[in-house]
Parts: sequence; structure tokens; C-alpha cells
Amino acid sequence: MENMQAVNSFVAAYLKKKGFKEAEQLLEDLHSKDSAAPIDFHNDPDLAKFIHHFSQSEDEVARYQDGYSKLRSWTYSSLDLYKHELLRVLYPVFIHSFMDLVAKGHLQEARTFFNAFHEDHQLMHSRDLQKLEGVLSQSHLEEMEFARSLRQNKVNVKICQYSYDLLLQYLHKTQSSAMLGVINEHINFQATSGQPGSISDDIEVVTLIGSCQDAANQINQKEIHWGLLEDSLEERSEKEGGLLSDSEKTEGENKEGDAEESKKRSAEGGKQGSSTKKLKKDKAVNATAKSTRLEAKTTSSAPRVKPELTLPIMSTEVEQSILEDLRNRVQLSSIALPSVSFYTFLDTHNGLNCSSISHDGSLVAGGFSDSSLKVWDTAKLGQQTGGATLQGENDSTSSEHVVRPNGVKRSYTLFQGHSGPVYSATFSPLGDFILSSSADTTIRLWSTKLNANLVCYKGHNYPVWDVQFSPVGHYFASASHDRTARIWAMDRIQPLRVMAGHLSDVDCVQWHANCNYIATGSSDRTVRLWDVQSGECVRIFIGHRSMILSLAMSPDGRYMASGDEDGTIMTWDLSSGRCVTPLMGHTSCVWTLAFSCEGTLLASGSADCTVKLWDVTTSTKAPRNEEKSGNPNRLRSLKTLPTKSTPVYSLQFSRRNLLFAAGVLSKKV
Amino acid sequence: MSIVAKETIEVIAQSIGINNLSDDAALSLAPDVEYRMREIMQEAIQCMRHSRRTILTTDDVDGALNLRNVEPVYGFTSGGPLQFKRAIGHRDLFYIDDRDVDLKEVIEAPLPKAPLDTGVACHWLAIEGVQPAIPENAPVGVIAAPSNGNTHEQKDELPVDIRLPVKHVLSRELQLYFDKITELTLRKSDSALFKEALVSLATDSGLHPLVPYFTFFVADEVSRGLNDYSLLFALMRIVWSLLQNPHIHIEPYLHQLMPSVVTCLVSKKLGNRIADNHWELRDFTAKLVALICKRFGHVYNTLQTRLTKTLLNALLDPKRALTQHYGAIQGLAALGPNVVRLLILPNLEPYLRLLEPELLLEKQKNEMKRYEAWRVYGALLRAAGQGIYERLKIFPPLPSPPGHTIWKSKEKVVTAVPNKRKASMEPLEDEPALKKIATDGPIGSLALVTTLAPSGQNDAGQPSSSEKKTANRVGKDGQTLKKSAILNQIWKDDLNSGHTLVTLLELLGEGILSFIPSPEMSLFL
Repeated sequence: MENMQAVNSFVAAYLKKKGFKEAEQLLEDLHSKDSAAPIDFHNDPDLAKFIHHFSQSEDEVARYQDGYSKLRSWTYSSLDLYKHELLRVLYPVFIHSFMDLVAKGHLQEARTFFNAFHEDHQLMHSRDLQKLEGVLSQSHLEEMEFARSLRQNKVNVKICQYSYDLLLQYLHKTQSSAMLGVINEHINFQATSGQPGSISDDIEVVTLIGSCQDAANQINQKEIHWGLLEDSLEERSEKEGGLLSDSEKTEGENKEGDAEESKKRSAEGGKQGSSTKKLKKDKAVNATAKSTRLEAKTTSSAPRVKPELTLPIMSTEVEQSILEDLRNRVQLSSIALPSVSFYTFLDTHNGLNCSSISHDGSLVAGGFSDSSLKVWDTAKLGQQTGGATLQGENDSTSSEHVVRPNGVKRSYTLFQGHSGPVYSATFSPLGDFILSSSADTTIRLWSTKLNANLVCYKGHNYPVWDVQFSPVGHYFASASHDRTARIWAMDRIQPLRVMAGHLSDVDCVQWHANCNYIATGSSDRTVRLWDVQSGECVRIFIGHRSMILSLAMSPDGRYMASGDEDGTIMTWDLSSGRCVTPLMGHTSCVWTLAFSCEGTLLASGSADCTVKLWDVTTSTKAPRNEEKSGNPNRLRSLKTLPTKSTPVYSLQFSRRNLLFAAGVLSKKV
Repeated sequence: MSIVAKETIEVIAQSIGINNLSDDAALSLAPDVEYRMREIMQEAIQCMRHSRRTILTTDDVDGALNLRNVEPVYGFTSGGPLQFKRAIGHRDLFYIDDRDVDLKEVIEAPLPKAPLDTGVACHWLAIEGVQPAIPENAPVGVIAAPSNGNTHEQKDELPVDIRLPVKHVLSRELQLYFDKITELTLRKSDSALFKEALVSLATDSGLHPLVPYFTFFVADEVSRGLNDYSLLFALMRIVWSLLQNPHIHIEPYLHQLMPSVVTCLVSKKLGNRIADNHWELRDFTAKLVALICKRFGHVYNTLQTRLTKTLLNALLDPKRALTQHYGAIQGLAALGPNVVRLLILPNLEPYLRLLEPELLLEKQKNEMKRYEAWRVYGALLRAAGQGIYERLKIFPPLPSPPGHTIWKSKEKVVTAVPNKRKASMEPLEDEPALKKIATDGPIGSLALVTTLAPSGQNDAGQPSSSEKKTANRVGKDGQTLKKSAILNQIWKDDLNSGHTLVTLLELLGEGILSFIPSPEMSLFL
């Protein structure tokens, strides 16, 4: 603008001085424009900007439309080798051209432009397009967060040097200043030397909000300790091996063996330890299980970490029972698939919002849109099906049944207290407490022993979408529409930490196995990892194309899986912050994910009425061995278990590796 | 420009009382309205996702409005999905069909049934990774059948039996077989080949996978081909053959077959030519019905009652055609003498009164109609006759020495072991027989026994002989006990059957006599 004014003032002065020779002046003007064109715009942004604005004075609307359609046809007709790289440029150019048009007030033209070309990008960016389609005036651009962040940031596009040159040559040759302007203003090319990249690994190639990516990269540099807690029960059970003798002794031993010992153990590597363990366990486990075990051992030897939270103390009986479970655990692998017990909710009249299964599968909870929370004792399910008339007879258990005014007993325990749809429920690890979160902005703690509401936690200002107990109990995390995630302790009615940073709703939350981190999935299509102690964001995982609905952490603490609205599941390496493999297969929302207890399998439940089992060992560990060479084996869907028109709402591996699943029978329309 | 038109804004403004909204204001409001609407819908989608649903409901929209502190839109939450109707004359304009409800009606209407309470059921989705084939699981996905005509039928018909559409895989051979049979049925049902096909249907062991297709085929063709006599007959023959096949488990498909079969029995018109001998078809179908009832009556205890009810309705409705009456009578008659006695005989008199004018030459001029009437009369006669014959022929089941002792001891058995009696085929029928003998006196009975002894009937012969043994064992002590009471009772029964016979005689004339076994006749006359 300033340049333009300078020229104008200069021309005005010249005219004033001479009084005539307008034609000559015009010629000169044109000449200056022509001479400016060949200059490399990227080396001289000022000049490019000048020319860009100069061009705007003409009928720019047609230029956008024209320029874009020409660029598009040029891209589509380019050499196959470079085509997919050049195609990456189209989408940012498209959305920014559209927003430029809107910003300049050409609303009608913007709409026609949008309608003409949006189908090209529908496949990849349907959600963004949906949002942008509604933008109809300048004020909307200002108001809409998504549009604003797009406008304020440059798009990063990775492209090889040759493609970049090709593009520049084309732009120069065709003089399409509108396109040039858009590209110059909004796209930041990261030209790489060498061959053009392959089509497949395009996750981070185009990042719409460049600065966000930078920030993420920066954040992802931070160190995290994903190792398991020292002195965990699993460790203890491994240590004690086949011995069924007094756990007290091992406990004492463990307390002595502090950080030093754990360091030593990690230093000497899993190999020795596992071999000795192998000897001990020979009689207990069969050959296949052994080998997988061995593999798991060698890879999961990460430094143990100390808990940053004061952990609740476990009673010895509970400890004993958990140890018992661990000893009886079925070893799962790609050839030894789990058994799945499915709980089907019937006659919910479309009211079931969420379900949850306790760790031992003995209790099933359902949160309903009529504000109620209902808990079923699965041990009594058989009796019910035996006949409703029988219910009158089992008076011994009547204390657990709520008796309605008219004396009819229900098959479940009804928890009433919320004043809005219940969106999430979670059982404490021991199954004695339930937490439920609701649209009424509160979280409530219920006791399954007393069948009563104990605490109401108020803190969020908007509906609480998700709540999760920590693996050790006592602490829990919540995720809300108010864009924060919060950490709570059962004995405090105020949150201990507030995690703010997501750009949109926080939709789901999950604890890390060592309780020092929580992961949150959001509608801004990122997953973040937060340090519980400091409340800082320590990782940002970018790659999903739609809202994240479910999260799961591998029991060895190294990997995380996240499922989104489109049915994509991504597995992430926490230490690097990179996606290990996208797992494609589901066709609809992935409502729930669960890792098996030794981390070899990932189970996913989806709205497409299937439970899928994925082999995580091959998908995560193969690339390291052969470094991208063995592509076909990288992602393995082991088994698809279709249900009978029952979308799967929740999955839970018991400590003995039995998989529980729950869903609601929905009639097909 | 935006999907919300300027006019829409104007209409909305008028509806809330702003009449003089300027064009400019409407024009600039329209895009903003669209933007807000999109925003709310996006939040509604968010709410939908958190309710774990994939279908947007009005609740979600209310939830989204709630998030923005906007009052929800009332009046859309109740009931099922909203019914949109297309506005006449507009391509893209829809409105909700919102009928006026009379409050009084609502108040006075009976309370709707309470919805079922939520429950949880548990099953194994997989055991060690393998899905058990139980009804709770989705049917195991099989490789899709090669696409041909059959796939269409699969889709149409299978959901009737099983809750979910299942993909069957038919081997190529079975498909060919099915095609061949259907073609034969449709085209060359009188050929020798078709007879062979029927034999094959009745005996081949590997046909079970085809049963659903055949049932569907029969049902489909019957509903379409009511005018084609030969086709109908061919179809009924197929059903007959399928029923004969010992390797086929046809039970689950019976409910699909029965309507077609009953149609062939009591339809008003079967075939469109006079030459078509639809009487024969009806007779055949009646036999078929009887066969089905005999074979599956014990499994589906409602089968026979439902069937007889249908047939009786057809018979007693004077508006129905005579052909229908004929079919109904034949069907009922085929179901056995008991049915005849219970259902036809009581209605015989009024029905005959109805039929009479049709029978007479002077009253019914139409040759065809009269013929039909006579046909019906004949059927009725046969049915009644058979019924009475069955009854009477049980009388002489005593091919044994002195009638006197027998009947006495036998009464003893009646009182002592009633259960056993019930178990026998026609328990009650025995009593009148005894009574008759008793009342007619020793001489008569003795004569009767002696005359009938050589030609003893199988049915009744067996139980009676076994009873005889027990009777002998019981001996003669206490013969007189309660005898008189029992005698009285039996008397009554006997009188009844006597009465029926007499009324039958009156109603049907001499024709009935041919059905009555000669000895009994001699007794009565």
C-alpha cells in the first residue's frame, strides 16, 4: 500500500510539474510493471506485495477464479512424478483464495468459487470445508477461530526442490498474480533437495497452521519419562515368578531395591533378566507365550520412574487378588486371541450415552440422557434372563436392588443425581466407586457398596465430556467443553490441576500407565500429553483429520492409540511424538480402544458394529528392525468381530486378559 | 447467495411482529443467520458424538442451544422422527406435518403401554478369537454368493425367518437344480419329467438349503398365479413332495407355506377356465392340509386351531362363494371325524337350509351355480357320513367271547384306569359302544359280537385287546359298583350319537345311509 501511495504521489508531483505527457507517464508505468515481473518474488517480498496489491485494483474476482482453475488444470496435467507434490499446494491456495474473496467483500463470488472447486478437497478436508462454507462475511472470518488461525498463520508445505521450481516457473510464465499473491502470502515452502516424496507419508507434509506445527515440534522436544512406575505390582509379580510364597518378603525386598537397583536392571538389559525368568517360568507358560513374552521384555526395558503423585495405599488382600490375577493371565498374541464377553444393552430407547465396565467385568454401568446412571451386577444377569418372576424370590439380594414405590424390583441399581445427560462413567480400579460426568457441568462420585452419591465435584463451566480414574485410583481426570482438562483427587472438591491449551473441546482423556501424564483428545484434532505434576503440555500429536473420540495407553507406557470420528486409529510413540502407524479399517466413529494387559494387542470398538483386534507388536516394532523396508506387515488387523447391529461403546481388558465389551442394540432403520 | 433467502428473513420478521424490515437489513441478516445455524449444527454434532450416536436428533440441537445459553426450541422432542412433507409446487421446500390434536381425545385415550425397562444381556462375542455361532452374534460372514437371480430372492425373503439378512451360499449344483425345478413347474408341469422331479423332491437328501427358496417360490407363484390352474396344482404337488421328504426340516417354513396352501383350498377362483377341475385341486389340497396338521400339529399346537378357525369362517360366511364353502368343507373333513363332529355337524342344519335353494332346479337357473351347489352338498354328505361312520365303526371292537362279561369288566377298567383310556386313540367313542350293548340286552349284543367278530377293526381292536387282559385280571369282583351311574352317563352319549344320526338322516336323506356300517344300521333302524 505504501509503495502504491509513493508511486501515486510521485506521479502526481510529476504531472503537476509538467502539466501534460500523461500518455508517456502511462507507458512508463507499464514498463515498470513489466520489468518488475521477472524478479524473484520470494527474494523480494516487498516488491511482490506491491505487485500483488497492484493487481488487486483490477477485476480481481475473475482473477482468482481464473487463476485457480488454471493452476488446477496445470497441476492435474503435470508429470506424475511431481503431481502429488504439486497437488498439496492446491488446497491451501483454495481456502485462502476463498477467504481472500470473502475478506474483500465479494461474497457472491466467493460462494460460486467455493462451489466450483470444493469437491476436489472434499475427500481429505470435508470437515474444514463444512466449517468454511458457513463463512459469509468479513465479520465471520474474524469471529471464527478456525478461519482466524488460518489467516494469521502460514501453511507449511514440504515439497521437493524440483517441484518448487516447476511451480515458480509456471506462476511466472502465466502471470497469474492473484495466485502468486496467495501463495506468497500464505504458504511457506520447505523445499527439500532430492527426489519427490512418496504419496503415502503425507501426514505432516501439509500443515495448515504452520506456527502450531512449530510450537508442537518445540514442545515435543521436551523430555518425558514414559517408563513404568517402579515397584509396580506387575514388576513384583514378574520378580516373584512362579513362586507363590509370601509376598511380604518380596515387598520388603522391593522397598530396599530402590532407584539404584532399577537402574542396574535396566542397564543390564532385559536379556539376562528374561532368560533367568524364562527358566523359572518354563513350566508355567507354553512355548508361544514364552517367545512373545521374551520379545515384550526386551523392548519394554525402560527406566522405571518414581511416582510424582502420592499414591494411595493398597490393602494386602487387594494386592493378593491382583497378583493372583496376574499369575493367571492369559498370554495374548497374534496367534492367541482373547475371548470377548459382550454385554448388550436392550430397550434403551436411544437414551444410552456411555457405558463402562469394571476391571473385573463384574459391574456394568450405563449413563443415560435422562440424567440417570444405572449399574448392573453381571453376576445377576443370568437370573434375570431366567425369568422376571423369579425376582421376587431372591430377597437375600434385595438390599442391592432399589425397590420402587410399587414394590417392583429393578434388575439394576439406579443412581440419580445429575441434572443433565450423563456423558461418561468410569469405575475405580477396584470397582468400589463410580465417577460420572454430565452435561450439568458436574462430576459425581458414587459408591457401589453404599449405592449412594458421595461427592459432587463442581469446577467445569460447561458439559463434562469425559472422566477417567487413574490406574491407581484416587485421582481422576476430566475433559470438558470449556476446553480444559482437569485433574482431581477424590478427597478434594476443587481440581488439583487445570490443563488449558486445546483450541476446541476436550473430548476424551486417558491416564498414562505411570500416572505422571494424562493424554487428552480434542475436537481441534490434536492429542496432547500433559504432565500431571506441572500441568504443562509436553507433547502435541498432530495427524488426525477429525475429532478424536477415544484414547488408550499401552501398558508398557511407550505407545498411545487414538481413534477418531472417521474410523482412523493412530498409534503414537510417546517419546518421539510421532505417529507409528495409522490403523485403517473402521468405517465409522471409533468409540473405544483398549490395549491388552501385556500390550501385544489393541482392541477397538466402533459405531460400524465391529470389534477389531490389531497386532501392535508387528505394527510398532517391525519398523525399527527393518526401517520402513517391510511395508506390508506394518499394520495388521488380526480379526474383525462383527456384532449383531450393536455399536460398541466400551471395551475393557480384565487383568486376566479377558476382553469385555458393551454396546447397545440398535434397530436398523 | 446464502442458502437462507432474503424472503425467509422477511417472513420470520413478520412472524415476530416486525413488518417493515428493510431490504438491506434482511439481506445482511441472511448470511449471518446461516452462519449461526451452521455453528449450532456443528455443536449439535458434537453433542451427538458424545451421546455415542451417528444420527442427529432434536435433543442434540437442544443441547447445542443450551451450550450457548439459548432457550431450546420446544415442541419437537416428543415421539419418533419428524415427518417432513414436501410442499406442493416447490422442489426443495419441506414442512413438518403438524396436526391439530384434540386434547379431549388425548385425555380420554387409554394409557399407552409402558416401555420396557432397560436391561443388559451377556453373551460370548468370541472365544479365543473365534466367534461362536449363537443367535446373539451376527451370522458368520460367508463369501458372497455368485450374483444371479437368487440373490434377489435371498434379500427379499430371508429376513422373515431370521432376524438379520443372512447370506446363504448355494452351490452351483443346487442353484441349477432349483432353476430347473422352477422352470418345470412353470412351464411343463404335466410332463413326465415333472413327475420325476416330484419324486426327487420327495426323496433326495441334499435339498434342505433350497427349502427357503422353494417356500418363497411357492408363496410367490401362488399369489401371482391364481388364474393358472395347472401351475397351482403343480405347486401344491411340490409342497406335497417337500413334506414327504424325510431329509428336509420344513417346520420353520410352515408359516410361510400355510397361507399359500390355504389359498389353494378356499380361494374363490382357482384357474380361469371352466375345464379346470379346481375341485380336484381343492381335494388334493385338503389332503395336504390334513397331512401338515397330522405331522406338525403336535409341534405347533395352535396350527390346527388356527386352520380350523379360518376354514370355519369361510364356511359360515354366507357371502362367500360356494367354491369356497366346498374347499372349507373338504379341508375340515380331511382333518378328521372329530373336527367334523365338532364343527360341521352343529352347523349342518342352518347351512343346509341356506344351500337348499341353490340345489333346486326351479330356484337356481344357473346351471353352473347349481352344479357347484350339488358339489358342496356332496362334500357335505361325505364329510358328515365319514364322521358318523368313524363313530359307528368303533362300536364293534369286541371280537371276544362272551360279550356279557366283557362289557362288565370293561366298565371296571373305565373307572379304574381313566388315564389309559385317554391315551388310546378314540377313547370316548368306546363308551357309547358299550352302552349300546348294555342297553340292547345280552341277546342283541351277543348277536352283534358274533356277527362282527371276523371283521374286527384294527383301530379299536388293539386297545380293546389290551384292555381285555387287564379286565380279566381285575376280575369280576365289584362289578356292580357304580355301574348304574356309569351306565346312565353312557346312555346319554349314546342317545346323542343316535340323535345325530337321526338328524343327519333327516337332513341328508338316504344318502347318509351308505356310510353307516351295516350292522350298526341294523341296530338303529
